[in-house]
Amino acid sequence: MSEICEVIVDGEIHEAKEGSLLIDLLIEEGVKIPYFCYHESLGADGNCRMCMVGIKGEKRPQIACDTLIKKDMEVFSNTDVIKKVRTDILELELLNHPVDCPICDQAGECSLQDFYMDYGLHESKVEIEDKVKNSKHVDLGSSVVLDQERCVLCARCTRFTTEITHTNELGIVGRGDSAKVTTMPGRELSNPYAMNVVDLCPVGALTSKDFRFSQRVWLLETHNSICHGCAKGCNIYIDHNKLKYKDDVIYRFRPRKNLEVNGHFICDEGRLSYKDVQENRQEFSTFNHIEVEQDIAISKFKNFLEQHHKNIHILIDANLYTEEIEAILEFAKSIKAEVFSPLEVYTDEGFADDMLKCSNRASNYKTIENLNISTENPNNSELIINFNHPQNFESLMQIDFCTHKSDTNSLVFAIAAFTENEGSLTNVDGITQQTQKAVKKNNPQPSIIEWLTRIDL
Amino acid sequence: MSFTFNQDDLNKIKELKTRYPSPDALCLPCLWMAQTKEGYISIDAIDAISEQIGLAPMQIYGVVTFYTMFHLQKPDRLQVDVCKTLSCKLCGSDEILKHLKSKDVYVNHVECLGSCGTAPMMQIKDKNYENLTNEKVDAILEELL
Amino acid sequence: MKECKIVSRKFAIEGSHTLEVAKHHNAYRSLEKRGEFTPTQMIKIIKDANLRGKGGGGASAGEKWELMPQDGDKPSFLAVNCDESEPGTFKDRQIITYDPHLLIEGIILTCYAIKSKHAYIYIRGEYKEYQDILQNAIDEAYEDGLLESCDITIHRGAGAYICGEKSALLESMEGKRGHPRLKPKQKEPEWFFGNPTLVNNVETIATVPFIIQNGSDAYREYGTHCSPGTLLFGMSGHVNKPGVYESEFGVSMLEYIEHFGGGVKNGKKLKAVIPGGVSCGVLTARECKDLTLDYEAMRTAGSSLGTGGMIIMDEDTDMVAVLKNILEFYHEESCGQCTPCREGTGWSDKILQKIVNKRGTKKDLEKLFELADVMNGKTICVFAPSVSSVLISFITKFRDEFERAVS
Repeated sequence: MSEICEVIVDGEIHEAKEGSLLIDLLIEEGVKIPYFCYHESLGADGNCRMCMVGIKGEKRPQIACDTLIKKDMEVFSNTDVIKKVRTDILELELLNHPVDCPICDQAGECSLQDFYMDYGLHESKVEIEDKVKNSKHVDLGSSVVLDQERCVLCARCTRFTTEITHTNELGIVGRGDSAKVTTMPGRELSNPYAMNVVDLCPVGALTSKDFRFSQRVWLLETHNSICHGCAKGCNIYIDHNKLKYKDDVIYRFRPRKNLEVNGHFICDEGRLSYKDVQENRQEFSTFNHIEVEQDIAISKFKNFLEQHHKNIHILIDANLYTEEIEAILEFAKSIKAEVFSPLEVYTDEGFADDMLKCSNRASNYKTIENLNISTENPNNSELIINFNHPQNFESLMQIDFCTHKSDTNSLVFAIAAFTENEGSLTNVDGITQQTQKAVKKNNPQPSIIEWLTRIDL
Repeated sequence: MSFTFNQDDLNKIKELKTRYPSPDALCLPCLWMAQTKEGYISIDAIDAISEQIGLAPMQIYGVVTFYTMFHLQKPDRLQVDVCKTLSCKLCGSDEILKHLKSKDVYVNHVECLGSCGTAPMMQIKDKNYENLTNEKVDAILEELL
Repeated sequence: MKECKIVSRKFAIEGSHTLEVAKHHNAYRSLEKRGEFTPTQMIKIIKDANLRGKGGGGASAGEKWELMPQDGDKPSFLAVNCDESEPGTFKDRQIITYDPHLLIEGIILTCYAIKSKHAYIYIRGEYKEYQDILQNAIDEAYEDGLLESCDITIHRGAGAYICGEKSALLESMEGKRGHPRLKPKQKEPEWFFGNPTLVNNVETIATVPFIIQNGSDAYREYGTHCSPGTLLFGMSGHVNKPGVYESEFGVSMLEYIEHFGGGVKNGKKLKAVIPGGVSCGVLTARECKDLTLDYEAMRTAGSSLGTGGMIIMDEDTDMVAVLKNILEFYHEESCGQCTPCREGTGWSDKILQKIVNKRGTKKDLEKLFELADVMNGKTICVFAPSVSSVLISFITKFRDEFERAVS
């Protein structure tokens, strides 16, 4: 039943797999179609009724999310009848919706706003006092805030906790227009992927407490990247903005769809890891805790290299980009240093689960293995050059290249974090992925490759 | 937990499980058992039912709030369900509702109870009282209260 | 009016709900036909008799039975719909109170025909008194060895009109909220935990013994060509003798009301009739004049026969208040799953409240027509389309009353 066949949509011929969902085809081919309750990861629920289209041979409009592709099917998504259906149903979705746009975080990425501009533009015909009232800003736990008045009862969030995480915290209670989404009394939303409901919610009913009131989304710049929380390499968007007189700051990570790696979701820990990337940074190069200019730092570096040239051990963080690791290997060859990347420190069995989370917390450990870098601990070290590895080992002298504050007396070079740089990573399943350079700080730290070029032996 | 099924209940649940292709179907029967015992459905009862049949507590809670006959709080007075739908309204249910305002009972305005031919009527503790007049209501409540 | 006692034969007999009395009056005689007919042959008899579902839809029972697999690897089930929550309807209650053994007999035959070993009777939660009578009858049947071929389990509902919708009924039995399911594009049986299931109304099943015992022709001697047989029609509201009285299809509505109901109460004139429960459009007295009680005539008249539970309204009835009462019912009973119904029933109730409070405007009437349009044909089940047709029928046929209310 999965032959490719031809289907006509608004007069244009498209190819699709017979038996697949019509709505998938429409979304893929960029045919504008409104919907709330359908989601690729959750399937159809058929309750919002927004995705109705006309189908030749059918008396009434049909919902695209519950229609299977048949050979020679003719679909009409833009007739006057369909336009009126959409406008009418949208009016009913907006009927009890509070006019919260000025204070709602979802503004700018809200399905109701988008559909209203495309299909609505009606004047409200109902008095505010007639609208159904419900609870607002309910703290559900896990940094998720619920506003029951804004909810369109698409049931995406309840289906997420039932079918994806199997934790069943969210459900719909009541009946008719007093139905609402909630948790059981006294119980919280509490699972490692809870914040994904914020992305799933098409309106501002579920919002992130972490992001609440922090930034208007149309001011954010978005870049593609990969989460560095573990070896799964979940695809993310970095949303950042440089306000006037301020620095370029990351406001949130969001999941980016990749059906081969993370599907549509990321774990909460990875989502909130944007904070750690930006806090407690090593801002400048230091020696004995005193800030030194970059040229002075480099000359000190060269002196130490000469001093200990017979016994140099290099440590490589398994979170660095592949290009950085390869550059370090070149550098190591040129100074005849031994290279290590102990991986045990990254192992956290308690972190792993059967969804996305990996027990290896190093995002690029596969590259370490592929390049046959030793994972033993260095010993009898004279000079250790540590490229951001989290462990310290005994040595006479240590030089650090690190993103975050180091408490050693030694020579410390400040380097760019992964969000300020671009490169590739190979995840636990051997998939190699690229990131984009996102954050452009006012006073950026050089990347490792930039440092090594400057050092230029 | 402050709610437990006694051995009789557990036997009944065991027997019912043989009558359905999945224990999920015991949701309504177990909820009725709990409400018959305590007069309402407590959160502890929901947890106990969840343990017996495997449905998540939230799903059971969603079911409880869907139906009119389940109560999440213990009623503090006699519950009187008076039908307010069309046939009863045409036959004077408004009068009965007005009369009941003066009584120390909790009046639920419910939809059609399937007694249209003997309207107006009310239901108390699963029993129907039909062809009501104000006098009949007085007599019935005197006996019950 | 022809005397019809297909289903109500034993109603007036004292103790008819007990096995002893029922058997004394020939209960369970039709079971011997299982030796004469194969399951497929039995289905054909039901189909030939054109037994139509008596839960309000009037669809062919035989065609529904044919959808059940005769040779499947999954068990088949029968779900008897005793949710009877349609306002104006109180007929199934009579069967389970006065002749529960007739229902059990029908269940045994139906299970034989569709090769099912288990039947459930989904009974509305508010019918506990009658449920107890039915359970006693089932216990008696078990003791008497009548239920060797199929088990019967009563499943008690808890107060939701929408659970009378067949897919919502099964959702409810599966331990979930009673949300109607999306309808498949092709004809197929209903599903209970993924197993093929037949859902039929109590009276439909209670009619099966007569048809199997006496043959499809005997059934067709009653009623009309397209609506053969009988129905437990009912009357309530402004009528002298409200109640349930079995009659064949095709009789004159006004004659029925006169003959069985004793005419309109207090000598008043008839104003309007809702023919088959509150989900049918209203009919004016003039429209009732030559109307017959059958599915086709009702459809032609722009309404539907529904469950046959007539609500009679006299000349003093305030139709605006009646519509408000009906919309309150729909507002309360909407399951809330899909947008047009959830918001449409709520909003139309609020608009009617405004009109009843003398704050309505002409625009509100227009809005009600617009809402009727949105609620028609765009929802998951037929709940909203019923609201739509009720709204349109009331405001159209009693236009002057509504216009006076908003002026």
